[in-house]
Amino acid sequence: MADDKDVLRDVWFGRIPTCFTLNQDEVTEREAEAYYLLLPRVSYLTLVTDKVKKHFLKVMRAEDVEEMWFEYEGTPLKWHYPIGVLFDLHASNSVLPWSISVHFKNFPDRDLLHCPSSSVIEAHFMSSIKEADALKHKSQVVNDMQKKDHKQLWMGLQNDKFDQFWAMNRKLMEYPTEEGGFRYIPFRIYQAMSDRPFIQKLFRPVSPEGNAYTLGDLLKEMYPAAITNDGEQKRYQVVIHGIEPLLETPLQWLSEHLSHPDNFLHICVVPTPSD
Amino acid sequence: MSVCALNEKQFFSCCQLLLQQSEHLRDGWSWEAVQVRRPLNLNVDEQPGPVVATRLHSDGITGDGGDEDDAVCVMSEGSSHVLQYEYHILYSCSYSQLPVGRSVMLEDVWSSVHPNFRRCLQNSPLTAITQQEHPLLGQPFFMLHPCRTEEFLRPVLQEEQPR
Repeated sequence: MADDKDVLRDVWFGRIPTCFTLNQDEVTEREAEAYYLLLPRVSYLTLVTDKVKKHFLKVMRAEDVEEMWFEYEGTPLKWHYPIGVLFDLHASNSVLPWSISVHFKNFPDRDLLHCPSSSVIEAHFMSSIKEADALKHKSQVVNDMQKKDHKQLWMGLQNDKFDQFWAMNRKLMEYPTEEGGFRYIPFRIYQAMSDRPFIQKLFRPVSPEGNAYTLGDLLKEMYPAAITNDGEQKRYQVVIHGIEPLLETPLQWLSEHLSHPDNFLHICVVPTPSD
Repeated sequence: MSVCALNEKQFFSCCQLLLQQSEHLRDGWSWEAVQVRRPLNLNVDEQPGPVVATRLHSDGITGDGGDEDDAVCVMSEGSSHVLQYEYHILYSCSYSQLPVGRSVMLEDVWSSVHPNFRRCLQNSPLTAITQQEHPLLGQPFFMLHPCRTEEFLRPVLQEEQPR
């Protein structure tokens, strides 16, 4: 359907206007100006912020610069989460642009993974794709791909090439017609106020009777409090790529169209803002 | 390629065997059910919480002997270092399905590893180590890669496979 293809593009090209300011404790030779950037929702912080680093390095001495890391309102931002997930989880109801603090010292290694090079990002990205395919196809599709095909997925993401990426990714979105969907849906549910990084469990897209499960069915099973019962006030928003899909949306459709390039459906449950 | 697959039950019994061995050897493995703090206002998660086998291990020159007071060791003359290693074995349900074709491993072995030790492992052909987020605790841990874990553990698992 032409409409569904548009959804894929809209998801891929989603952007978040961001303002990067240098943390005031950093030592500079002169005043550092803020740096503005449109961040791709589907990418990763350390992959798209070379310009940010360059910009702030201009006003700093080499000896004051260690690994760059980012923080929002006191929370270190995990580069290995897609940017859109970080925003929806921490800042979805705040005023744009998203204000991120940049640090070059005191790397919080209890909270953040190190990211010494882009090959670390690539390894993490490919690892997610492989895990997603283990769930969807018992790894058959990803294992049948050649190394150059894997590379194409990564290069597509790295260079923001929608067509290059999807030429390969469409294989990961296929399933035998008689099955009605993937074996299991790769998803992760994030909650802002939780110790646990995310909820991820096995969940089939189709019932034994052949009925398609919905987003609501998934939440009822994995996170019942996210669903508002009749008469209750709505306490939580269920956000994917910055929007609240209808709970009646079939999960299989969401997995095929609203997954991130890592092939996971990342779902954020955030408290409804109290105006 | 042979299949090295454990379902949750098998994983559990392998861990029990490991714990029994550990008790004989007195090398400190324990079974911990991780208490995941539920956010406020949420319904109780009825499924049993994920469990993890953990071992706190301090490095020292003498690793043997079964001496239980191994908590603090002197590393070398002139300097004393206390290195603490924490190993977690977790069950990954993503990889727990019986695979078709190429085998997939299903145990994630997590460890917090001293950089020197990590370098040794990285040079070893059977291991690929990367830093990852612990799925239950959220903290950075080093993980042994599933695709390599199978080669590493197959000899061990073949002993256990009921045939």
